[in-house]
Amino acid sequence: MNFDWSVIWRNADALVEGTELTILLAVVTMAIAIPGGIALALMRLSGVRVLAVTSASFVELFRNLPLILVIYTAYYILPVTTGLSFSPISTAIVALSLNVSAYNGETFRAGIASIRRGQTEAAYALGMTRWQTTRDIVLPQAIRRVLPVLASTWVSLFKDTSLVSVISVGELAYTSMRIRAQTYRVLEMLTAMAAIYWLLGYPQAKLVDWINRKYAVSE
Amino acid sequence: MELDYSSVFDSWRFLLGGLGLTLALSVLTMLCSLVLGGAIGLARCYGPQWLRLPLVFYIDSMRSVPVLVVLVWTYFALPLITGVTLSPFWAALVALTAQLAAYVAEIVRAGVTSIRVGQTRAAFALGMSRTQTIRTIILPQALVRMMPAFGSILSITIKDTAIAAVIAVPEYMNRSQTVAGQGFHPIEVFTVAMAVYFIILFPVTRAVDMVYVRLAHLGRS
Repeated sequence: MNFDWSVIWRNADALVEGTELTILLAVVTMAIAIPGGIALALMRLSGVRVLAVTSASFVELFRNLPLILVIYTAYYILPVTTGLSFSPISTAIVALSLNVSAYNGETFRAGIASIRRGQTEAAYALGMTRWQTTRDIVLPQAIRRVLPVLASTWVSLFKDTSLVSVISVGELAYTSMRIRAQTYRVLEMLTAMAAIYWLLGYPQAKLVDWINRKYAVSE
Repeated sequence: MELDYSSVFDSWRFLLGGLGLTLALSVLTMLCSLVLGGAIGLARCYGPQWLRLPLVFYIDSMRSVPVLVVLVWTYFALPLITGVTLSPFWAALVALTAQLAAYVAEIVRAGVTSIRVGQTRAAFALGMSRTQTIRTIILPQALVRMMPAFGSILSITIKDTAIAAVIAVPEYMNRSQTVAGQGFHPIEVFTVAMAVYFIILFPVTRAVDMVYVRLAHLGRS
């Protein structure tokens, strides 16, 4: 069997572009999903029944659906329901954000719930408003507790961006498979794809382990 | 918007067959991952020193590469090296197991190391052998602590089988795509698919939470 590894160097530019888009997708999704997750958690804990039920339903729905199905469905449903034409990239960001927001919502809810009730009561006793208490007392501590979980979610998200290749978003997986189809260099291109994901993902996985050790909560 | 579910109803046998394959692939993957991952996790904790480094490397590598990449590589690239062509179903089983076993191995390690050292020392002090200590003291307690995490792995497994649609395993996701492509009602087909996956996955996640509450007190030490 002859393998021609030079195909990777000849298509290096396209691979770099694909990698950049992969990173961009992950960054933009996380930038949407962190405020989204906080909003979902605050809705859930607001004490207003309608908000709490809406938030819980959203979280349970998207935690219990395969992401690839959400991506396909968004691809077909978004243009019809909104009447706007979505580019594959914006469809991908919508689908990824829905998924990651749901996970972040659950993460923040658990983080906020882990701050003891006494702290909120103490803040009220000092005359702080509900909003002040949430912003100055509960959230700063909760964020420290949720950081390790957010880091794991980030690594999952980084890998999950590969799934949007099914709706032709030109990120790393799609680009590699496109070059494979054009050059018939199957083993070379797929191995290059796996190697690039590995090079990017391995340090991240190690960093997450480190964050988990550093921020481990022991009571 | 007019919704027309006729293409879903007309192909219900075809879709039901896909659902069967989704469940079969999920169960097989889960079983293989538990066996392989359990072996890797225990070998990492108790195996010979020279074996640990490659195992840690394997586990961390699988944690850093997307499941889609493992699936596509196993199905398209692996046959070029080994000369053995796997059908999509078996390639999916191999690829999903290769990845999920790494997660199982991490759960096993976390469970085993969560049992305090004092217990091992106490067992040794009572004259128990290493094997006896692991089998009768550590593992029974560690297993209880691993249960909730194994439950999450089951739900991840079911969701990951949908990605096998990419290598044309004719499971539910793949057959939904086929039906969506033949008729002109993709929205209805994918809405039904969302309902089907949710109906399978929601009880699983609920059951995991319940098992966790029921077993939590047993894991204390």
